[in-house]
Amino acid sequence: MEQELRKEARKLLEEVNVDYIVGFARGSLKFSTTPLITKDKEEVASLVISPFMVNNLARFLIEMPGRVGIVAKGCDSRSVVSLIQDNQVIRDKVVIIGVPCSGLIDIAKVEKLANKDRDEFDDITLQGEETVVIIGGQKTKFPTKDVLFAHCLGCESPTPKEYDILLGKPRDAIGDEALSRREIKQLEDMVPEQRWGFWKEQLSHCIRCYACRQICPACFCERCFVEESQPRWISSVSQWQDNLMFQVIRNIHVAGRCTDCGECERACPMNIPLRSLSKKMSELVDETFRYTAGIDKNEPALMTAYEHVEAEDLIM
Amino acid sequence: MATNNKKISKKDVAKLLDIWSQQFSVLVPSKKENVAGLAMWDGVDIGFLEWYRNTVIPPKANFLPSMEKMFSFKKDGDGYHIEIAQDEPKQLIFGIRPCDARGITMLDKVFTETYEDPYYVSKRKNTVLIGLSCTNPYDSCFCTSLGLKPTESADVDLMFTDIGDEFLIEEITDNGKELMGVASLVKQATKADDAKARTVKAAISDKVIRKLDTKETAKKLQACFSDKDYWEKVAAKCISCGICTFLCPTCFCFDICDELVKKQGARYRGWDSCSFRLYTNMPMENPREEKWRRVRQKVCHKYEFYPMNFDVIACTGCGRCTRLCPVNWDISQILSSLPASAASRSEK
Repeated sequence: MEQELRKEARKLLEEVNVDYIVGFARGSLKFSTTPLITKDKEEVASLVISPFMVNNLARFLIEMPGRVGIVAKGCDSRSVVSLIQDNQVIRDKVVIIGVPCSGLIDIAKVEKLANKDRDEFDDITLQGEETVVIIGGQKTKFPTKDVLFAHCLGCESPTPKEYDILLGKPRDAIGDEALSRREIKQLEDMVPEQRWGFWKEQLSHCIRCYACRQICPACFCERCFVEESQPRWISSVSQWQDNLMFQVIRNIHVAGRCTDCGECERACPMNIPLRSLSKKMSELVDETFRYTAGIDKNEPALMTAYEHVEAEDLIM
Repeated sequence: MATNNKKISKKDVAKLLDIWSQQFSVLVPSKKENVAGLAMWDGVDIGFLEWYRNTVIPPKANFLPSMEKMFSFKKDGDGYHIEIAQDEPKQLIFGIRPCDARGITMLDKVFTETYEDPYYVSKRKNTVLIGLSCTNPYDSCFCTSLGLKPTESADVDLMFTDIGDEFLIEEITDNGKELMGVASLVKQATKADDAKARTVKAAISDKVIRKLDTKETAKKLQACFSDKDYWEKVAAKCISCGICTFLCPTCFCFDICDELVKKQGARYRGWDSCSFRLYTNMPMENPREEKWRRVRQKVCHKYEFYPMNFDVIACTGCGRCTRLCPVNWDISQILSSLPASAASRSEK
């Protein structure tokens, strides 16, 4: 599939008038990838497809000029669609190279299970329901479900639905919604005081690096409310109350846009379980509006659409 | 035969920390919070001696916290009554790595030498640093390319090196010597211990596999400063978050803000980052509006501007920026790919 991808990407640059290719290259750390953004047709030879291609590349479309060929897993493709709905991306200006996704390996989970760091692993291979990890020549097997990102376990569209080119064979969803929302269930089972305490504690760790916002394809505001000073919505002092407010408002802003790619949680250097907020918000959006983000590019974006039947007394 | 060095049995480390606890707040590497950082020693657990490679949050946070109150104020008649933050308690950091200790020396140049920052100084003068040689450097570490060794430090008071069942202790400063004076658990090291330490140290230095040639870096950076195409390419995947700067042991930028509610409030300062677009925002313009200019600033500050001011590169090769970057933006890769000669392309 990699060879095919490289061939297609080269063709796009050479023949189809695409200015940039956005994909994944091998990263500098073991078991990592890095976004490859290039207009060099030779450089596309370093494109890779792997269970470590964690970034949601749709995020880069917001800041890129010209026509872009983008490598898209299911979640990337949904985020591209969501950006099209919000008029942030023009459909004709992107060529979506769809890549069916096997589910992504969460290296932090492997590290925890094996009690080793990523640079101490010799090899990690996804083999269907088992994942083989080799450490110092010793083979250990873990259930694949234990090493995949939680969002991958519940992903409904590992194969992109919106694409121009689809590589390889479509893949089925893993469909373990219960395991995918285990952390959320744990939070739901708490009494409100406990839950409040949990988030108070977690958000006291926030250092306001804004990686959650910067990595997110749904956070496309040119100026974030955090940076407004008239009025000032939250304090720039990193204290838990304001950190909580930041996350609450951010989640309301991405409601109907978040495709549960899990990048906010993965990027967080303080390991704050941010997906428990964003996934819950997606569920509430689904329950309340029967709406799933990034499914239909021709449908108006959730928060920009209004129908007469939705009229409430307080709205004239 | 005795040497200048001391040693302590590993099983006595807890007792030693106990003795020090009577005089200092003892901080050790801890995983009790979400990520590894320094935390108050609980009086029992020395498990970190097994798992500890380095912390996620660098010890700079103990001198320049991510957020600190500078003073509080209250409306008092026509003026304000100001209450300045208290002097800091005496603290002892046990287990600091040579790279992070050097990071603090770099902060000293900014906060004590060029300008005496009372908030920094009050913590710094009350802190002793006990270094701990690395045993297992990460593949992202490159301290040896910056004139450091994972097992040597001139920036600590005492330096511990694992030599099997014992730690060899080198007394680096007079403060360090004094700390040894109170501890009856400490023995004189022998020539054989010193020899063992030398072997261990050489082996560990060899484990730092990532190499970077820094001799020409400043010159090359100067030459390619206006090469917009190069910097645009290099910056393309950066997401402009604050991770690499916030968690860098040498980055020291901060922002100051006031919190005012009903005629009383406080002034705080917290980490700021040149990666943020607003960092250089001014009413009429922003000299670093574009991402590539911010990325260039970060690299040049560490490898060109700081050396111009202080004659040393503001990077200790700890590798945090590479390990923690959500897009694997790797500074040593970038520095290795700098264009060799001056570019003729113009910035505008």
